[in-house]
Amino acid sequence: MVRTALLSLLVALGGYFSAAWLTHDFQVWTDEGARRLEVALSPVPLPAVELRGEDARQLALPAIAQGQVTIADFFYTRCQTVCLSLGSTFQQLQAALQADGDRPGAAPVRLLSLSFDGAHDGAPELKAYAGKLGADPALWRFASVPDREQQQALLARLGVVVIPDALGDYEHNAALLIFDAQGRMVRIFDLAEQQLALNYARHLASKAS
Amino acid sequence: MNLHWRRSLARTLTPARQALAGLAIAALLALPASRHLLEASMWRHMVLQYPLWMLAGALLTAALPERAQNGIARWNASGISGLILAGTALLVLMIPRVLDLALLHPPTEFAKSAALLATGSALRLSWRRAGLVVQGFFLGNMLLMGVAIGQLYANSPLRLCNAYLLDDQVRLGNWLTGLFTVLAVAWLVQVAWWIMRREADTQAMAGSAPHSSAHRAAP
Repeated sequence: MVRTALLSLLVALGGYFSAAWLTHDFQVWTDEGARRLEVALSPVPLPAVELRGEDARQLALPAIAQGQVTIADFFYTRCQTVCLSLGSTFQQLQAALQADGDRPGAAPVRLLSLSFDGAHDGAPELKAYAGKLGADPALWRFASVPDREQQQALLARLGVVVIPDALGDYEHNAALLIFDAQGRMVRIFDLAEQQLALNYARHLASKAS
Repeated sequence: MNLHWRRSLARTLTPARQALAGLAIAALLALPASRHLLEASMWRHMVLQYPLWMLAGALLTAALPERAQNGIARWNASGISGLILAGTALLVLMIPRVLDLALLHPPTEFAKSAALLATGSALRLSWRRAGLVVQGFFLGNMLLMGVAIGQLYANSPLRLCNAYLLDDQVRLGNWLTGLFTVLAVAWLVQVAWWIMRREADTQAMAGSAPHSSAHRAAP
Protein backbone atom coordinates (compact mmCIF):
# COMPACT_ATOMS: atom_id res chain seq x y z
CA MET A 1 0.00 0.00 0.00
CA VAL A 2 2.89 2.36 0.82
CA ARG A 3 4.45 1.54 -2.53
CA THR A 4 1.16 2.20 -4.30
CA ALA A 5 0.78 5.54 -2.52
CA LEU A 6 4.36 6.46 -3.40
CA LEU A 7 3.93 5.54 -7.08
CA SER A 8 0.59 7.35 -7.26
CA LEU A 9 2.20 10.45 -5.81
CA LEU A 10 5.06 10.25 -8.35
CA VAL A 11 2.60 9.80 -11.21
CA ALA A 12 0.51 12.76 -10.05
CA LEU A 13 3.65 14.90 -9.73
CA GLY A 14 4.75 13.84 -13.21
CA GLY A 15 1.36 14.83 -14.58
CA TYR A 16 1.48 18.15 -12.75
CA PHE A 17 4.92 19.04 -14.11
CA SER A 18 4.08 18.02 -17.69
CA ALA A 19 0.91 20.11 -17.54
CA ALA A 20 2.86 23.03 -16.04
CA TRP A 21 5.42 22.78 -18.86
CA LEU A 22 2.73 22.55 -21.53
CA THR A 23 0.74 25.51 -20.22
CA HIS A 24 3.63 27.77 -19.10
CA ASP A 25 2.62 27.32 -15.46
CA PHE A 26 -1.09 27.19 -16.24
CA GLN A 27 -1.18 30.56 -18.03
CA VAL A 28 -2.04 29.32 -21.54
CA TRP A 29 -3.93 26.30 -22.84
CA THR A 30 -3.54 26.74 -26.58
CA ASP A 31 -0.50 26.85 -28.83
CA GLU A 32 -1.50 30.33 -29.97
CA GLY A 33 -1.48 31.49 -26.33
CA ALA A 34 1.93 29.91 -25.85
CA ARG A 35 3.22 31.56 -29.04
CA ARG A 36 2.12 35.01 -27.85
CA LEU A 37 3.56 34.50 -24.39
CA GLU A 38 6.87 33.19 -25.71
CA VAL A 39 7.27 36.15 -28.05
CA ALA A 40 6.55 38.59 -25.22
CA LEU A 41 9.15 36.86 -23.06
CA SER A 42 11.85 36.64 -25.72
CA PRO A 43 11.69 38.60 -28.99
CA VAL A 44 11.98 36.70 -32.29
CA PRO A 45 14.51 38.11 -34.82
CA LEU A 46 12.96 38.43 -38.28
CA PRO A 47 14.59 36.07 -40.78
CA ALA A 48 16.34 37.37 -43.89
CA VAL A 49 13.65 37.19 -46.59
CA GLU A 50 13.32 38.75 -50.05
CA LEU A 51 9.99 40.54 -50.44
CA ARG A 52 8.19 42.08 -53.39
CA GLY A 53 6.19 45.19 -52.64
CA GLU A 54 2.90 46.36 -54.15
CA ASP A 55 4.96 48.74 -56.30
CA ALA A 56 6.96 45.72 -57.61
CA ARG A 57 10.04 46.93 -55.78
CA GLN A 58 12.42 44.45 -54.17
CA LEU A 59 12.34 44.74 -50.39
CA ALA A 60 14.07 42.70 -47.76
CA LEU A 61 13.35 41.69 -44.22
CA PRO A 62 14.58 42.56 -41.70
CA ALA A 63 15.89 45.75 -43.39
CA ILE A 64 12.47 47.33 -44.04
CA ALA A 65 11.44 46.86 -40.43
CA GLN A 66 14.53 48.53 -39.02
CA GLY A 67 14.50 52.13 -37.82
CA GLN A 68 10.72 52.10 -37.40
CA VAL A 69 8.13 50.30 -35.33
CA THR A 70 5.95 48.11 -37.51
CA ILE A 71 2.47 46.75 -36.95
CA ALA A 72 2.27 43.79 -39.31
CA ASP A 73 -0.32 41.23 -40.29
CA PHE A 74 -0.54 38.26 -42.60
CA PHE A 75 -3.29 38.00 -45.20
CA TYR A 76 -3.99 36.86 -48.76
CA THR A 77 -5.77 38.96 -51.34
CA ARG A 78 -8.46 36.40 -52.24
CA CYS A 79 -9.52 36.21 -48.59
CA GLN A 80 -13.21 36.78 -47.91
CA THR A 81 -13.33 36.26 -44.15
CA VAL A 82 -10.96 37.26 -41.41
CA CYS A 83 -8.71 39.35 -43.67
CA LEU A 84 -11.63 41.68 -44.33
CA SER A 85 -11.80 42.52 -40.65
CA LEU A 86 -8.00 42.71 -40.60
CA GLY A 87 -8.27 45.17 -43.48
CA SER A 88 -10.72 47.37 -41.61
CA THR A 89 -8.61 47.14 -38.45
CA PHE A 90 -5.64 48.36 -40.47
CA GLN A 91 -7.72 51.13 -42.04
CA GLN A 92 -8.53 52.36 -38.55
CA LEU A 93 -4.89 52.09 -37.50
CA GLN A 94 -3.88 54.07 -40.60
CA ALA A 95 -6.46 56.75 -39.78
CA ALA A 96 -5.09 57.00 -36.23
CA LEU A 97 -1.51 57.29 -37.52
CA GLN A 98 -2.53 59.93 -40.09
CA ALA A 99 -4.29 61.98 -37.42
CA ASP A 100 -1.30 61.69 -35.17
CA GLY A 101 1.55 62.37 -37.58
CA ASP A 102 5.06 61.27 -36.72
CA ARG A 103 5.90 62.39 -33.21
CA PRO A 104 9.08 64.43 -32.95
CA GLY A 105 11.88 62.51 -31.37
CA ALA A 106 10.11 59.17 -31.78
CA ALA A 107 10.67 56.48 -34.38
CA PRO A 108 7.88 56.32 -37.00
CA VAL A 109 5.13 53.74 -36.63
CA ARG A 110 4.29 51.99 -39.92
CA LEU A 111 1.92 49.30 -41.15
CA LEU A 112 2.95 46.23 -43.14
CA SER A 113 0.61 43.64 -44.62
CA LEU A 114 2.39 40.46 -45.67
CA SER A 115 0.74 37.99 -48.03
CA PHE A 116 1.26 34.28 -47.31
CA ASP A 117 0.02 33.40 -50.79
CA GLY A 118 3.16 34.38 -52.70
CA ALA A 119 2.25 32.06 -55.58
CA HIS A 120 -0.89 34.08 -56.35
CA ASP A 121 -0.27 37.53 -54.88
CA GLY A 122 2.13 39.39 -57.17
CA ALA A 123 2.60 43.14 -57.31
CA PRO A 124 -0.59 43.80 -59.38
CA GLU A 125 -2.80 41.87 -56.95
CA LEU A 126 -1.24 43.62 -53.98
CA LYS A 127 -1.63 47.00 -55.63
CA ALA A 128 -5.29 46.38 -56.41
CA TYR A 129 -5.89 45.21 -52.87
CA ALA A 130 -4.11 48.23 -51.39
CA GLY A 131 -6.16 50.51 -53.61
CA LYS A 132 -9.40 48.88 -52.49
CA LEU A 133 -8.50 49.49 -48.86
CA GLY A 134 -7.39 53.07 -49.50
CA ALA A 135 -3.92 52.42 -48.19
CA ASP A 136 -1.54 55.39 -47.96
CA PRO A 137 1.77 54.10 -49.38
CA ALA A 138 3.74 56.33 -47.03
CA LEU A 139 2.23 54.59 -43.99
CA TRP A 140 1.00 51.19 -45.11
CA ARG A 141 2.96 48.83 -47.30
CA PHE A 142 2.00 45.51 -48.83
CA ALA A 143 4.41 42.73 -49.74
CA SER A 144 4.56 39.06 -50.58
CA VAL A 145 7.36 36.52 -50.57
CA PRO A 146 8.03 35.26 -54.11
CA ASP A 147 10.25 32.39 -52.99
CA ARG A 148 8.23 29.48 -51.61
CA GLU A 149 10.90 28.20 -49.26
CA GLN A 150 11.60 31.64 -47.84
CA GLN A 151 7.87 32.11 -47.33
CA GLN A 152 7.66 28.87 -45.37
CA ALA A 153 10.68 29.89 -43.30
CA LEU A 154 9.12 33.28 -42.52
CA LEU A 155 5.78 31.74 -41.50
CA ALA A 156 7.50 29.13 -39.36
CA ARG A 157 9.72 31.69 -37.63
CA LEU A 158 6.79 33.95 -36.81
CA GLY A 159 4.51 31.07 -35.81
CA VAL A 160 1.92 31.74 -38.51
CA VAL A 161 -0.06 28.57 -39.28
CA VAL A 162 -2.04 28.54 -42.52
CA ILE A 163 -4.43 25.69 -43.29
CA PRO A 164 -6.69 25.25 -46.32
CA ASP A 165 -10.40 24.97 -45.54
CA ALA A 166 -13.19 23.13 -47.33
CA LEU A 167 -14.14 26.13 -49.47
CA GLY A 168 -10.72 26.55 -51.07
CA ASP A 169 -9.85 29.43 -48.75
CA TYR A 170 -7.27 29.54 -46.01
CA GLU A 171 -7.74 29.63 -42.27
CA HIS A 172 -4.90 31.26 -40.35
CA ASN A 173 -4.10 32.53 -36.88
CA ALA A 174 -4.58 36.17 -37.78
CA ALA A 175 -3.13 38.65 -35.31
CA LEU A 176 -1.37 42.00 -35.03
CA LEU A 177 2.38 41.50 -34.91
CA ILE A 178 4.64 44.23 -33.55
CA PHE A 179 8.18 44.48 -34.96
CA ASP A 180 10.59 46.76 -33.10
CA ALA A 181 13.19 49.09 -34.62
CA GLN A 182 15.85 46.39 -34.41
CA GLY A 183 13.85 44.09 -36.71
CA ARG A 184 12.53 41.72 -34.08
CA MET A 185 8.98 40.54 -33.47
CA VAL A 186 8.34 41.62 -29.89
CA ARG A 187 4.59 41.21 -29.30
CA ILE A 188 1.52 39.59 -30.78
CA PHE A 189 -1.88 41.16 -30.14
CA ASP A 190 -5.30 39.79 -30.84
CA LEU A 191 -7.31 41.41 -33.65
CA ALA A 192 -9.67 42.78 -31.01
CA GLU A 193 -6.79 44.49 -29.21
CA GLN A 194 -6.16 47.07 -31.90
CA GLN A 195 -5.96 50.06 -29.53
CA LEU A 196 -3.62 48.19 -27.23
CA ALA A 197 -1.40 47.28 -30.19
CA LEU A 198 -1.29 50.90 -31.34
CA ASN A 199 -0.47 52.21 -27.87
CA TYR A 200 2.23 49.60 -27.46
CA ALA A 201 3.74 50.45 -30.85
CA ARG A 202 3.77 54.17 -29.99
CA HIS A 203 5.35 53.46 -26.65
CA LEU A 204 8.01 51.34 -28.34
CA ALA A 205 8.60 54.09 -30.92
CA SER A 206 9.12 56.74 -28.25
CA LYS A 207 11.68 54.49 -26.55
CA ALA A 208 13.42 53.64 -29.82
CA SER A 209 14.46 57.19 -30.63
CA MET B 1 -22.82 -21.48 -25.09
CA ASN B 2 -21.51 -18.14 -23.86
CA LEU B 3 -18.83 -19.87 -21.85
CA HIS B 4 -17.85 -22.00 -24.80
CA TRP B 5 -17.55 -18.92 -26.97
CA ARG B 6 -15.38 -17.24 -24.37
CA ARG B 7 -13.12 -20.24 -24.12
CA SER B 8 -12.57 -20.42 -27.84
CA LEU B 9 -11.86 -16.66 -27.89
CA ALA B 10 -9.28 -17.13 -25.13
CA ARG B 11 -7.69 -19.94 -27.13
CA THR B 12 -7.46 -17.77 -30.24
CA LEU B 13 -6.14 -14.70 -28.40
CA THR B 14 -3.06 -16.18 -26.84
CA PRO B 15 -0.77 -13.67 -25.09
CA ALA B 16 1.76 -13.99 -27.90
CA ARG B 17 -0.86 -13.20 -30.55
CA GLN B 18 -2.18 -10.27 -28.53
CA ALA B 19 1.31 -8.85 -28.15
CA LEU B 20 1.93 -9.28 -31.88
CA ALA B 21 -1.32 -7.50 -32.68
CA GLY B 22 -0.34 -4.69 -30.29
CA LEU B 23 3.05 -4.42 -31.94
CA ALA B 24 1.45 -4.32 -35.39
CA ILE B 25 -0.97 -1.56 -34.38
CA ALA B 26 1.82 0.47 -32.78
CA ALA B 27 4.00 0.05 -35.87
CA LEU B 28 1.15 1.12 -38.14
CA LEU B 29 0.40 4.17 -36.00
CA ALA B 30 4.05 5.21 -36.04
CA LEU B 31 4.14 5.26 -39.88
CA PRO B 32 4.26 8.81 -41.27
CA ALA B 33 1.39 7.99 -43.65
CA SER B 34 -1.01 6.94 -40.91
CA ARG B 35 0.10 9.80 -38.67
CA HIS B 36 -0.67 12.16 -41.52
CA LEU B 37 -4.05 10.57 -42.14
CA LEU B 38 -5.14 10.45 -38.50
CA GLU B 39 -3.72 13.82 -37.53
CA ALA B 40 -5.10 15.67 -40.54
CA SER B 41 -8.32 16.19 -38.63
CA MET B 42 -8.78 17.16 -35.02
CA TRP B 43 -11.45 14.61 -34.16
CA ARG B 44 -9.58 11.71 -35.81
CA HIS B 45 -6.47 12.78 -33.91
CA MET B 46 -8.13 12.55 -30.49
CA VAL B 47 -11.03 10.14 -30.98
CA LEU B 48 -9.31 7.59 -33.26
CA GLN B 49 -5.55 7.87 -32.84
CA TYR B 50 -5.57 8.24 -29.04
CA PRO B 51 -7.66 5.09 -28.38
CA LEU B 52 -5.68 3.10 -30.98
CA TRP B 53 -2.43 3.84 -29.17
CA MET B 54 -4.13 2.80 -25.93
CA LEU B 55 -5.36 -0.42 -27.53
CA ALA B 56 -1.81 -1.17 -28.72
CA GLY B 57 -0.54 -0.59 -25.16
CA ALA B 58 -3.21 -2.85 -23.67
CA LEU B 59 -2.44 -5.65 -26.16
CA LEU B 60 1.32 -5.35 -25.68
CA THR B 61 0.80 -5.82 -21.95
CA ALA B 62 -0.02 -9.46 -22.67
CA ALA B 63 3.67 -10.00 -23.38
CA LEU B 64 4.63 -9.11 -19.81
CA PRO B 65 5.78 -12.29 -18.02
CA GLU B 66 3.85 -13.32 -14.92
CA ARG B 67 6.72 -12.30 -12.64
CA ALA B 68 6.78 -8.78 -14.02
CA GLN B 69 3.00 -8.52 -13.68
CA ASN B 70 3.23 -9.61 -10.04
CA GLY B 71 6.05 -7.14 -9.47
CA ILE B 72 3.95 -4.32 -10.92
CA ALA B 73 0.94 -5.43 -8.87
CA ARG B 74 2.89 -4.78 -5.67
CA TRP B 75 3.11 -1.12 -6.68
CA ASN B 76 -0.48 -1.08 -7.87
CA ALA B 77 -2.71 -2.12 -4.96
CA SER B 78 -6.38 -2.14 -6.04
CA GLY B 79 -5.21 -0.74 -9.39
CA ILE B 80 -4.97 2.70 -7.83
CA SER B 81 -1.60 3.82 -9.25
CA GLY B 82 -2.56 2.51 -12.69
CA LEU B 83 -5.85 4.37 -12.77
CA ILE B 84 -4.19 7.55 -11.50
CA LEU B 85 -1.64 7.20 -14.31
CA ALA B 86 -4.37 6.71 -16.92
CA GLY B 87 -6.50 9.58 -15.61
CA THR B 88 -3.58 12.00 -15.34
CA ALA B 89 -2.18 11.13 -18.75
CA LEU B 90 -5.54 11.49 -20.51
CA LEU B 91 -6.27 14.76 -18.77
CA VAL B 92 -2.91 16.26 -19.77
CA LEU B 93 -3.25 14.94 -23.33
CA MET B 94 -6.63 16.64 -23.74
CA ILE B 95 -5.06 20.10 -23.28
CA PRO B 96 -5.55 21.72 -26.72
CA ARG B 97 -1.90 22.73 -27.00
CA VAL B 98 -0.87 19.06 -27.14
CA LEU B 99 -2.61 18.59 -30.50
CA ASP B 100 -0.77 21.50 -32.10
CA LEU B 101 2.55 20.68 -30.48
CA ALA B 102 2.34 17.01 -31.50
CA LEU B 103 2.28 18.14 -35.15
CA LEU B 104 5.18 20.58 -34.86
CA HIS B 105 7.43 19.16 -32.18
CA PRO B 106 8.58 15.52 -32.55
CA PRO B 107 9.54 15.06 -28.85
CA THR B 108 5.96 15.95 -27.87
CA GLU B 109 4.57 13.50 -30.44
CA PHE B 110 6.83 10.80 -29.02
CA ALA B 111 5.88 11.58 -25.42
CA LYS B 112 2.21 11.63 -26.38
CA SER B 113 2.40 8.18 -28.01
CA ALA B 114 4.39 6.74 -25.10
CA ALA B 115 1.92 8.15 -22.57
CA LEU B 116 -1.01 6.64 -24.48
CA LEU B 117 0.70 3.23 -24.67
CA ALA B 118 1.32 3.41 -20.92
CA THR B 119 -2.30 4.47 -20.34
CA GLY B 120 -3.66 1.46 -22.26
CA SER B 121 -1.32 -0.86 -20.42
CA ALA B 122 -2.14 0.68 -17.02
CA LEU B 123 -5.87 0.36 -17.64
CA ARG B 124 -5.52 -3.32 -18.49
CA LEU B 125 -3.32 -4.03 -15.46
CA SER B 126 -5.57 -2.10 -13.08
CA TRP B 127 -9.21 -2.26 -14.17
CA ARG B 128 -10.17 -5.71 -12.81
CA ARG B 129 -8.10 -5.17 -9.67
CA ALA B 130 -9.83 -1.90 -8.93
CA GLY B 131 -13.28 -3.18 -7.98
CA LEU B 132 -16.47 -1.21 -8.28
CA VAL B 133 -15.68 1.49 -5.71
CA VAL B 134 -12.32 2.51 -7.18
CA GLN B 135 -13.69 2.13 -10.72
CA GLY B 136 -16.62 4.33 -9.81
CA PHE B 137 -14.38 6.96 -8.28
CA PHE B 138 -12.10 6.95 -11.33
CA LEU B 139 -14.94 7.11 -13.83
CA GLY B 140 -16.87 9.69 -11.81
CA ASN B 141 -13.91 12.04 -12.04
CA MET B 142 -12.69 11.11 -15.49
CA LEU B 143 -15.99 11.05 -17.34
CA LEU B 144 -17.31 14.28 -15.84
CA MET B 145 -14.04 15.98 -16.70
CA GLY B 146 -14.16 14.46 -20.20
CA VAL B 147 -17.69 15.70 -20.82
CA ALA B 148 -16.72 19.16 -19.52
CA ILE B 149 -13.70 19.25 -21.86
CA GLY B 150 -15.87 18.02 -24.72
CA GLN B 151 -18.32 20.86 -24.10
CA LEU B 152 -15.45 23.35 -24.00
CA TYR B 153 -14.21 22.14 -27.38
CA ALA B 154 -17.72 22.12 -28.84
CA ASN B 155 -18.72 25.57 -27.58
CA SER B 156 -15.53 27.61 -27.80
CA PRO B 157 -16.04 30.46 -30.28
CA LEU B 158 -12.26 30.59 -30.81
CA ARG B 159 -10.11 28.08 -32.60
CA LEU B 160 -8.19 26.28 -29.86
CA CYS B 161 -5.67 24.73 -32.25
CA ASN B 162 -3.92 26.66 -34.98
CA ALA B 163 -3.68 23.55 -37.11
CA TYR B 164 -7.38 22.72 -37.19
CA LEU B 165 -10.59 24.33 -38.39
CA LEU B 166 -13.40 25.44 -36.10
CA ASP B 167 -16.01 22.97 -37.39
CA ASP B 168 -13.52 20.14 -36.81
CA GLN B 169 -13.18 21.34 -33.22
CA VAL B 170 -16.96 21.35 -32.72
CA ARG B 171 -17.11 17.82 -34.12
CA LEU B 172 -14.38 16.70 -31.73
CA GLY B 173 -16.21 18.29 -28.79
CA ASN B 174 -19.42 16.47 -29.67
CA TRP B 175 -17.57 13.19 -30.13
CA LEU B 176 -15.88 13.53 -26.72
CA THR B 177 -19.15 14.38 -25.00
CA GLY B 178 -20.93 11.46 -26.68
CA LEU B 179 -18.12 8.98 -26.08
CA PHE B 180 -17.77 9.76 -22.37
CA THR B 181 -21.55 9.66 -21.91
CA VAL B 182 -21.73 6.23 -23.56
CA LEU B 183 -18.87 4.99 -21.36
CA ALA B 184 -20.65 6.23 -18.24
CA VAL B 185 -23.92 4.54 -19.24
CA ALA B 186 -22.12 1.31 -20.16
CA TRP B 187 -20.42 1.17 -16.78
CA LEU B 188 -23.69 1.85 -14.93
CA VAL B 189 -25.39 -0.93 -16.89
CA GLN B 190 -22.56 -3.26 -15.94
CA VAL B 191 -22.92 -2.30 -12.26
CA ALA B 192 -26.68 -2.81 -12.41
CA TRP B 193 -26.18 -6.24 -13.96
CA TRP B 194 -23.62 -7.13 -11.31
CA ILE B 195 -25.94 -6.05 -8.46
CA MET B 196 -28.85 -7.99 -9.92
CA ARG B 197 -26.69 -11.09 -10.25
CA ARG B 198 -25.53 -10.74 -6.66
CA GLU B 199 -29.11 -10.40 -5.44
CA ALA B 200 -30.04 -13.51 -7.36
CA ASP B 201 -27.11 -15.30 -5.74
CA THR B 202 -28.15 -14.08 -2.29
CA GLN B 203 -31.69 -15.32 -2.86
CA ALA B 204 -30.42 -18.66 -4.04
CA MET B 205 -28.31 -18.84 -0.92
CA ALA B 206 -31.29 -17.81 1.24
CA GLY B 207 -33.15 -20.77 -0.24
CA SER B 208 -30.54 -23.11 1.19
CA ALA B 209 -30.27 -21.08 4.40
CA PRO B 210 -31.51 -23.70 6.91
CA HIS B 211 -28.90 -26.06 5.68
CA SER B 212 -26.06 -23.58 6.01
CA SER B 213 -27.23 -22.25 9.40
CA ALA B 214 -27.44 -25.77 10.71
CA HIS B 215 -23.95 -26.23 9.42
CA ARG B 216 -22.76 -23.08 11.19
CA ALA B 217 -24.50 -24.03 14.44
CA ALA B 218 -22.44 -27.14 14.64
CA PRO B 219 -19.44 -26.67 16.91
